[in-house]
Amino acid sequence: MSETTVSARPRRGRVSSRAWGVASGLAAAATPLILLTILVVLAIFAWRSVVWNGLGFFTSTKWNLGNLYGGSLVVRHGIAAPQGAEYGMLVFVTGTLLSSAIAIVLAVPVGIGVAVALTSFSPRGLATVVSFFVELLAGVPSVVFGLWGFTVLVPWIGATVGPGMSKVLGFIPFFGGQAQTGLGLLASGIVLAVMIVPIITAVSRDALAKVPRELLEQGRALGLTEWEIVRDLSLPVARPAVIGAVILGLGRALGETMAVLMVSGSAVNSLPHNLYSPISTMASTIAAQLDSAMTDATGMAVHALAELAVVLFLITVLVNLLVKRIVRTLEQSPVLLWAERETE
Amino acid sequence: MIAARPAEGAAGRARTGISLGRRVRHRTAVVLVWLSVAIVLLPLAHMFAMVTSHAVRALSPKLFTTSTAGVAGGLENAIVGTIQLVVLATVAAVTLGVLGGIWVREFASPRAAFPVRLAADVLAGVPSIVIGYFGYVTMVTWLGWGFSLLAGALALAVIMLPYVLRATDLAIGRVSEELRDASTALGATQAATLRRVILRSALSGIVTGALLAVGIALGETAPLLYTAGWSNYWGLLPSFTHNPVGYLTYVVWTFINQPFAEAHALAYAAAFLLMILVLLLNVVVRRVIVRHTEEAR
Amino acid sequence: MKRIRLLAAPVTALVALGLVASACSSTPGGGGGGGSTPGGGSTPGGGGTVKLLETGSTLLYPLFNLWVPAYQQATTSVQITTAGTGSGTGIAEATSGAAQIGASDAYLAPAIVQQTPTMENIPLAISAQQVNYNLPGLNSKHLNLSGAVLAGIYGGKIRYWDDPAIKALNPGLALPHKGIVPVHRADGSGDSFLFTSYLSDTTPSWSKSVGFSTTPNWPSVPSAIGANGNSGMVQALQQTPYAIAYVGISYLDQTDKAGLGYAALQNRDGKFVLPSSDTIKAAAAASAGNVPASGAVSLILSPGATSYPIINYEYAIVNTKQSDPAVASAIKAFLTWCITQGNAATFLDQVHFQPLPSNTVQLSQQLISKIGS
Repeated sequence: MSETTVSARPRRGRVSSRAWGVASGLAAAATPLILLTILVVLAIFAWRSVVWNGLGFFTSTKWNLGNLYGGSLVVRHGIAAPQGAEYGMLVFVTGTLLSSAIAIVLAVPVGIGVAVALTSFSPRGLATVVSFFVELLAGVPSVVFGLWGFTVLVPWIGATVGPGMSKVLGFIPFFGGQAQTGLGLLASGIVLAVMIVPIITAVSRDALAKVPRELLEQGRALGLTEWEIVRDLSLPVARPAVIGAVILGLGRALGETMAVLMVSGSAVNSLPHNLYSPISTMASTIAAQLDSAMTDATGMAVHALAELAVVLFLITVLVNLLVKRIVRTLEQSPVLLWAERETE
Repeated sequence: MIAARPAEGAAGRARTGISLGRRVRHRTAVVLVWLSVAIVLLPLAHMFAMVTSHAVRALSPKLFTTSTAGVAGGLENAIVGTIQLVVLATVAAVTLGVLGGIWVREFASPRAAFPVRLAADVLAGVPSIVIGYFGYVTMVTWLGWGFSLLAGALALAVIMLPYVLRATDLAIGRVSEELRDASTALGATQAATLRRVILRSALSGIVTGALLAVGIALGETAPLLYTAGWSNYWGLLPSFTHNPVGYLTYVVWTFINQPFAEAHALAYAAAFLLMILVLLLNVVVRRVIVRHTEEAR
Repeated sequence: MKRIRLLAAPVTALVALGLVASACSSTPGGGGGGGSTPGGGSTPGGGGTVKLLETGSTLLYPLFNLWVPAYQQATTSVQITTAGTGSGTGIAEATSGAAQIGASDAYLAPAIVQQTPTMENIPLAISAQQVNYNLPGLNSKHLNLSGAVLAGIYGGKIRYWDDPAIKALNPGLALPHKGIVPVHRADGSGDSFLFTSYLSDTTPSWSKSVGFSTTPNWPSVPSAIGANGNSGMVQALQQTPYAIAYVGISYLDQTDKAGLGYAALQNRDGKFVLPSSDTIKAAAAASAGNVPASGAVSLILSPGATSYPIINYEYAIVNTKQSDPAVASAIKAFLTWCITQGNAATFLDQVHFQPLPSNTVQLSQQLISKIGS
């Protein structure tokens, strides 16, 4: 985020000021250092997998730890892996991207709708109460979302929503087919949507609230309805912030682990073929598979998970950089604070 | 449902001379946005109701006075462990984060501040399971701490750090120029201005950020699974390494997968406690914000 | 002053919570019932107490949770924590030293023993696995299923309940023409290891294409889903008509309560056998003599007309070279208790396990005696 206004600094003081500078400088260095260490350690861990798998890692849908109980080792480029081992991330990347996409599609209209309700269509007291609850939703631990998704949402999708949608919208590709258990893409998308709505709402609400009053007054003077004011004046002005909010939400959806793990159906070796298919995401796969990966004496399974982690890391960095480009203008606003707390 | 209420004073004017179509569109919009509110609040209410109704079974003083024995007993160890982990993580994250935020805003040139801010934003976006994996590889096995309080707390601190840093950064950024100038004009040194004027007026923003970070830490599971481990015991003076610690989210995640009804009740009770804690934190945050905005006026 | 109060609120809240917790801890003991730790665990580390961490198998976890509180009523000098993290973690953490006792449904892979020769697997008890299904209207009937048919289902070749292969095993049952939903474990699991061992031992094509593993390479079946833990399996079954899943015997009470059906599986002699304490005992008796000195053995497909085909030893994974002699002797004492008093029916019946045969008790004892520092 670029500094738009550089504060006129007070003149440098004596020693104590320098002490502050040094101490805080050291502390500030910690953040990039930690980030760098994480990346380097992951990269070192992933290296053997990168060499062994080559490009197959990105194109294969098979994730097979191989024969951990005997069988000869497969040696490639001087690196050994169990017989039959194959590590491809395509299933997990697809699951991650599709579930996040569904979450965005569902959460954006609702999140912005709530923000509009709070800023333009409700008395202040009510807006405060609703805001409080929306923010509370943001603080609910992800295992609780998972618990709720698993025990409430999934059976509902399996029994009612899925078959209903399949019947009514079945003519649209991807919407047809059996819903079966309810565990899968749609459940993951909905749980993620519920988790990211508060981010989108909080940021959009604050951006909408910042739209200059004079502008709105002019709109009213022209005889526009409140809705027309929102649609034609507030939303266009707040657009960059709203886009930033959406991408921040996307960032969280991409990296969410526990909640998705509980509702995704944990598909292996097969890509989703409809909206109700079981999926796996990258983050949930790392959490679910780390324990059995550690029983691979060659260590290749752990290295492959590290490569998966690196790819996930890079995707989230990319999303973040995108946010930075878009919300540059937001630098001075307190809204980012609210937004950032959500990106887990 | 709340009736449409065109905002302050415009009601009369807005109604006159507006075509039916536009009025219908306005009405539709009002209905739709409030429908959105309902869609968002419904899952929350349902979640609370579900967790509470299942937790009731396990809610008793015993929950706080006994430790988990296997999958029965209470949650004392998990409550204490959660507090220890979060307090330790908060100390680390607030120290580094607040100082880092000060440096970025007060000392660094824009060019030097950029990588720190970027790092903080990127770090905030790193999935927590990745941080857990990193903590396992470095602290638990490489440094040989084993599952431990320190490993768990530092993993949490890494997650909290960017929020505290950016909150501090933004809060100091909001301190008015006049206030700074006045302090400088009075001959205060940079250090004195920082301490007496800037930090003081940025305090509520910093506290808000720190509390939000605490809320995040409370709800984390993924980074702790492979760093803190789990323990049925707790010590008032904990050993920092080589002894695993319990925490509430573990109970939710693991005990729901056990074949015993007591275990399920404990899982829901832990979820209930977490939600209550988050609720309390939100109330506190709101009070801080309200007070802050009142003072700003 | 005002600002300070801002900080004070959350700090007070945390301190208060801490105080409540610590005040409570001073109450000695905790209300009765089979599951509370004496002393409430307030002992502040050190002071001659040895701390052990048991982690791993979720199938064995309920049993350890019965064992540990009972053991600790007699022994206060040791604090044992149990954790259900999955067999894979049990093996890995016992090897890395982060845990003292790893619990696993699967024995150690030869490659791991080769890498760390001091690792050993100690049989603790005998467990079994059931194959459950949710067939509306037919859950009270016990389907006959064979390894080959299950391999066909999990391999995607048998897709409907009225498939001729299933019908042939169940003459007279009105099987519906409904798609089968095979449920497998998503996490690394000893249960997957046992189930795929059964499929491998009965079906050569499965053995060749998939084999057995805690994380098998499940064939791509569009209707298949993964579930977390045994409870996840039970829940998925409950929620999904026409699903089939393999579930640890310690979850028998849950599957019964959920009204799920369970299958009679074809054993080595070609007979279809239901899991019961008799058939599990018969299988254990048939293969009890064949345990190698390492303790690593598969009990799948034991011979005998009444032997249930999927049974296994539950293992404690221990590094015989412990860094601290006190820890080593604490592990030895506890594990010895587990295979003797701990094998009493009062514990094992609750999770439907069977005790070790007497010669395996001896073998386990030998393995335990190797633990030192």
